[in-house]
Amino acid sequence: MSAPRKELDPVRKGPAKTPAPPPVAPGPVDGARPDRAPSPATRSPEEWESLSKDLTWSRPPQRTAPTPDPALARRMHVVMVGWEFPPHHTGGLGVHCLELCRELTRMGHRVTFLTPFPGPFTPVAGVTFRHPGEPAAGGRVPEYPLAYAAGELARGSTAEAIEGYDAWVASREGLADASVVHVHDWFGTIGGAALARRLGCPMVLTIHSTEYDRSLGHPAESLRSREEYGIRQADMTIAVSQHLARQLIERYGARPERLRVVYNAVRPTARLEPVASANRTVLCLGRLTATKNVDTFLRAAARVAPAFPDALFVVAGEGPEYPRLIDLAVHLGVGDQVLFLGHVTEEERLSLLASASVFVLPSVVEPFGIAALEAMAAGVPVILSRTSGVAEIASNVFAIDFWDVEEFASRIAELLVYPVLRGTMGEGGRADALRDGWAERVVQTVGVYAELLAKQRSRT
Amino acid sequence: MKVVLYLHLHQPWRLARFRYMDLGSGRPYIDRERNLAIFRGIAERAYRPALDRLTAATEAFPEFRFSLSITGSFVEQAAAAAPDVLERLQRLVRSGHVALVGETYYHSLAFLLPPPELAEEVDRHARMLADQFGGHAKVLRMTELAFSDDLARFAESRKYAAMLAEGWEGMLEGRSANHMYCAASAPTVRMLLRNYRLSDDIGFRFSSKEWSEYPLLAEKYVRWLGDSPGEMIGLFLDFETFGEHHHADTGILDFLSALPRAASVDRRLSWATVDDALELEPVGAVSSPVTVSWADAKRDLGAWLGNDLQRSAFEAAKKLGTLVRAAGDPTLLEEWRWMLTSDHFYYMYVSGHGADADVHRYFSSYGTPYDAYANYMNALTDLRQRTVACLPTGESGGRSAPR
Repeated sequence: MSAPRKELDPVRKGPAKTPAPPPVAPGPVDGARPDRAPSPATRSPEEWESLSKDLTWSRPPQRTAPTPDPALARRMHVVMVGWEFPPHHTGGLGVHCLELCRELTRMGHRVTFLTPFPGPFTPVAGVTFRHPGEPAAGGRVPEYPLAYAAGELARGSTAEAIEGYDAWVASREGLADASVVHVHDWFGTIGGAALARRLGCPMVLTIHSTEYDRSLGHPAESLRSREEYGIRQADMTIAVSQHLARQLIERYGARPERLRVVYNAVRPTARLEPVASANRTVLCLGRLTATKNVDTFLRAAARVAPAFPDALFVVAGEGPEYPRLIDLAVHLGVGDQVLFLGHVTEEERLSLLASASVFVLPSVVEPFGIAALEAMAAGVPVILSRTSGVAEIASNVFAIDFWDVEEFASRIAELLVYPVLRGTMGEGGRADALRDGWAERVVQTVGVYAELLAKQRSRT
Repeated sequence: MKVVLYLHLHQPWRLARFRYMDLGSGRPYIDRERNLAIFRGIAERAYRPALDRLTAATEAFPEFRFSLSITGSFVEQAAAAAPDVLERLQRLVRSGHVALVGETYYHSLAFLLPPPELAEEVDRHARMLADQFGGHAKVLRMTELAFSDDLARFAESRKYAAMLAEGWEGMLEGRSANHMYCAASAPTVRMLLRNYRLSDDIGFRFSSKEWSEYPLLAEKYVRWLGDSPGEMIGLFLDFETFGEHHHADTGILDFLSALPRAASVDRRLSWATVDDALELEPVGAVSSPVTVSWADAKRDLGAWLGNDLQRSAFEAAKKLGTLVRAAGDPTLLEEWRWMLTSDHFYYMYVSGHGADADVHRYFSSYGTPYDAYANYMNALTDLRQRTVACLPTGESGGRSAPR
């Protein structure tokens, strides 16, 4: 692991007294003054600061039964321009979309979910899935070449496939009654914006992660520009954390008055019955990409392992870093105490969480970090990097600098050696994780739709 | 009406970050420089200006008298970080306007440990008072104003004339705190009780703009004192109230100056040290089988030993005491005693709800209670390993050797 890159600048680093970076408001905010707001380029840093002071948002509200505004009760038809969808998903975006669909339909809204993949999709009543290659209305002839379906996309030219997906999205028919077009990440920004324009309805864009983060500060221009385009076109952009929202302002010129934060959540499950385990398990779970920074986990494991010969360090997940990480574990001399599981099923994941003593998320940057929230919901104490969205809504965790191997090692050892700490932090983390559920989050999202629709009505 | 103003001077020796990976490294548990830097800041904001105003008041109003308790760690830090603060205190004590109150040297929870720990720590404090201030305390307070029937018996056994305690309804059973009482379990020990309403008007509410009595002026406050029924009013406060808990710009220091002046024109009021108040005869006895303190809404020890983290840390420290005594090394004993300082346990309070949680966060020197606990336990584990290494062979109690 090289020294931290300057441009990544972990914003929550440093002593607690450091003034918090500018917050961005969730839900409707008084500061929405689009006509008075100068463009980002003309604003001085001081102006930004004073503007962001208006947008105070410290912690998510305490849990209350979500009671949607009567104005929101109007039945909406949401056209979701998505990407992956469970059961086949690799990250938080898929989970977010599924939960959004579930809650929207529970509230009585209708969803048409556009995706480049042919499924299968976890069925949700009230959601219609549409994808390229679907049988055309009234005919059996595919509307779009199957080349743009999932498998082909991975193999063929990605750029071409994305363009094809955009074109397919932009030309969707039968959506005349759509209330809002809601795009997720960069994949469908161009098509989604065109569709929204054609349908005359507002466009919402949720950013789950940015190309900057995924590439550790070396963004592919074609992807970055699609993100920027989407943010410029969207009537409102939703970020899944404050950290991400700030990045959208700083790197993409997003306008704070057109930016909201809606965090992810977890679905409450019964408290997992801990699996009796001969070994104490320290778990690191996620896609094995460079941003996940599993290096720090392995190096910390190497520091802790000699003192805890019965501890097992488990890396669950697959990804491009897989072979290199195995080499690293061997090189560090902890090959016998580190277990690489590769891809794990949902069932395996739950059983891993039930047997884990500690959960570690050392990502260089984690726009949100749903895996950590799931571990917390399972009552497992969590150590995570400060530069993760979850750290913004969780106080019952150890939040530390992603590069600080000694600190990760110490925290792991402390949680292994002090059972009372493990228990108390686990309970506290569970309470943090379950304070606000998806229902609350989706009410915030629907609030964004309603705000835009009200604005649209007042214009006409 | 005797007004018994008593101010508590304490700064803890906060622990340094001591990681689990630091075990056996020989790193010190206490970050001396950080503590001294904090002390210098508070000296600037509170100790110097408030002591100057108190000194000026004793000069302007010869009848102005009050009492101080000063912990061992406060004196050590003052001597190193701000010797002029210590000199100011010494001058005040010499002036005869001030009575000193006894307590544990380490601001510790030693009253929960088996004898002779408490007696030794109180004696150590008494020696410090004699060395530093040429003074002698007739009245005893326990850390966090803890009081129980057992503690009254302890005070009696050590020949203290009185103890301080919270004037808490649970103990008063409908009686007023504004009288002299004695301890039911040890009738020779008089009880000076804190009037928490009038004390908290200054300590907590003074700068609160939501308070219906805001702003609190000395004239109004003195009228409240004068209108109170009874023979004495115990105004027991943290010294840091004046300039630190309430910053100077709230007017708290001016209030402190104005108080003796305003009281001087009210013939119903006279100032008394805790020693002066001993001339009052007890009107009854108070008793508390369980320990009461001056903290939080429940006035129990919940702020220090309320949750599992706190209790397990304290139990671990308590257990280590046996080993430390067996090892017989004065350095280890001293280091162990600093681990008993109540503040360490206070930092492990898991934020709950409401006003108490806000107060706890204000006083904590850690980001989370978990940081506080892990850090404390690491230092204690290291101390335990060093202690075990010092034990004469065969006295390790069957425990494993240090790693």
